[in-house]
Amino acid sequence: MIKSRPRHCAVLAGVLVAAGLAASAAAQAATPNLEGVWKIATPTKTLKPVKGTVPFTEEGRKQYDENKRLQAKGDYDDYDITLTRCNSPGTPRLMLTPERFKIWQRFGVLTFDFEWNRALRQINASNLPPKDDFMGAGLVPTMTGTSKGHWEGNTLVAETTNISDRTLLDDLVPHTLDMKVTEHIRLLDHNTLQDRITIEDPAYFTRPWDAVVTYKRQPAALFAEDVCLDRLQAHQPAFPSQ
Amino acid sequence: MRTEFPWRNLKGLALAGAAMLALGAGGASAQPANGGPPTATGPGGPPPGGQAPSQGFSPFAPPPPPPMSPAQKLAAALPPPQPGGSLPLPVLAAGSPMPNANPRDLQGTWFHNQNLEFRMQRDMYGAPAPYNMDGVKVLARRVQSLKDGKPYTNASAICRPPGPEWQHDLNMPFQIFQSKDWIEFVFEEYHGRWHVILNPAKAPRPAQKDYMGYSVGHWDGNTLVVETSDFKQAPWLDVDGTPLSAKGKLIQRIRKVDNGDQAPFIEVITTIVDPTYYTRPWSVVRTFGWQPSLTVFNEYNCEEQIGDPSVSADAGLLPEPKD
Repeated sequence: MIKSRPRHCAVLAGVLVAAGLAASAAAQAATPNLEGVWKIATPTKTLKPVKGTVPFTEEGRKQYDENKRLQAKGDYDDYDITLTRCNSPGTPRLMLTPERFKIWQRFGVLTFDFEWNRALRQINASNLPPKDDFMGAGLVPTMTGTSKGHWEGNTLVAETTNISDRTLLDDLVPHTLDMKVTEHIRLLDHNTLQDRITIEDPAYFTRPWDAVVTYKRQPAALFAEDVCLDRLQAHQPAFPSQ
Repeated sequence: MRTEFPWRNLKGLALAGAAMLALGAGGASAQPANGGPPTATGPGGPPPGGQAPSQGFSPFAPPPPPPMSPAQKLAAALPPPQPGGSLPLPVLAAGSPMPNANPRDLQGTWFHNQNLEFRMQRDMYGAPAPYNMDGVKVLARRVQSLKDGKPYTNASAICRPPGPEWQHDLNMPFQIFQSKDWIEFVFEEYHGRWHVILNPAKAPRPAQKDYMGYSVGHWDGNTLVVETSDFKQAPWLDVDGTPLSAKGKLIQRIRKVDNGDQAPFIEVITTIVDPTYYTRPWSVVRTFGWQPSLTVFNEYNCEEQIGDPSVSADAGLLPEPKD
């Protein structure tokens, strides 16, 4: 009798856990569920325009050419501190990382949890009250910027600004602090996620331009502890699979 | 004499945020400030007795504390740690989402609701930490290095995962995501991760050891009991360098507490099991309040500074002597 009690408790607790987790999922049923493990379908270092080539302004072309020159010289830290310091690749370059990432949706906030160096980005599509900002952190540009989102039908529309100009759009294309990145993120089917990325930055591009990146769903998994700085210390590349 | 926190002057400091939190000193710290005599025994508590009752003995007075060991006396004689502070806690807005009623569902956003503690000096009952002579030697060395303005390299200071205790101990929010096979803690600080494996068959012990160790958990009633071992290197348990050896073990008992007062929290009791540095297991307790408004993290990108090839890879810190 006494021995069976813990077993009953365990069964009951298991049911409670299952019910609780199901309730969590149900609470989010009002918006599309993008949660899961994803991986870029076709690995690439380049954010390729849907049509034509990147519409550089003269100033943008000049900076792009300078980056190419620095790349050829091997002066990576002068234009790409992700390669040399493991700096967060930022928005939108994180979406090109060749490893997997997870999407979590809690309270309307989408957390993108990247396998590469445990990097994070978040899109705030919530009604949560704004945070206190005692330190003025919101005044400082960040690598991933400030991403505000809303849902248009089954599509998450995210606008990101305040992105540090120490990041690149891909392995070469520069941008200014005034860039706005608009993403339309949606499921094409249960196993395919699409991110249409629109870049607006009048100083460097003559017009807004689009790129489309797709991702394939991966099995649920825990990511191994990935520490990019340890790779650099061991004289290995920041991105192991590129 | 007071321990200064010299790292705040170092370029490439990963802990600038922690140093700032120290400015708001005062208030209650995570452990009793001067830790009066322990009033009960329990996990990590001291053995009862050891001293004759004083002349004014009262059956209702707490028993006198046991005498300190030579190692504990040395630890007590060290310069005191910097007093920790904390930022004002956000007020839970009306209509705020609340935690799932299931006590075994820990998911959500949580934030340290106690002052940052720079050095764990006492256990959760107020008794001095049970250092042995090797343990207090390491602590004294680290405290002295801070006092001298020449602190030693440690994982946190060079933007590496600092181990599960330090990772959740600094005043930055974290989220918990849960499935039947594992529980994932995702931290703002160091964009850190702590994985608690519920089903080792689905996430076996990795071939290479991790900074965060390997953590296996199970439910004991509604308390998640997690045992963490197999550290890649000996983690510091706090900012001042309370030591844990690489062979040490942490046992964490984590439970969600909701008293219906709109202030739910999770309690984490960590038992430190490390005969290399301590005479017996001892426990500390931390609590983390429910804070959904902190779900959007501030970006933590210590790599930009620590990875700068124009500065020292060890952020100007000194290698710690080997024992």
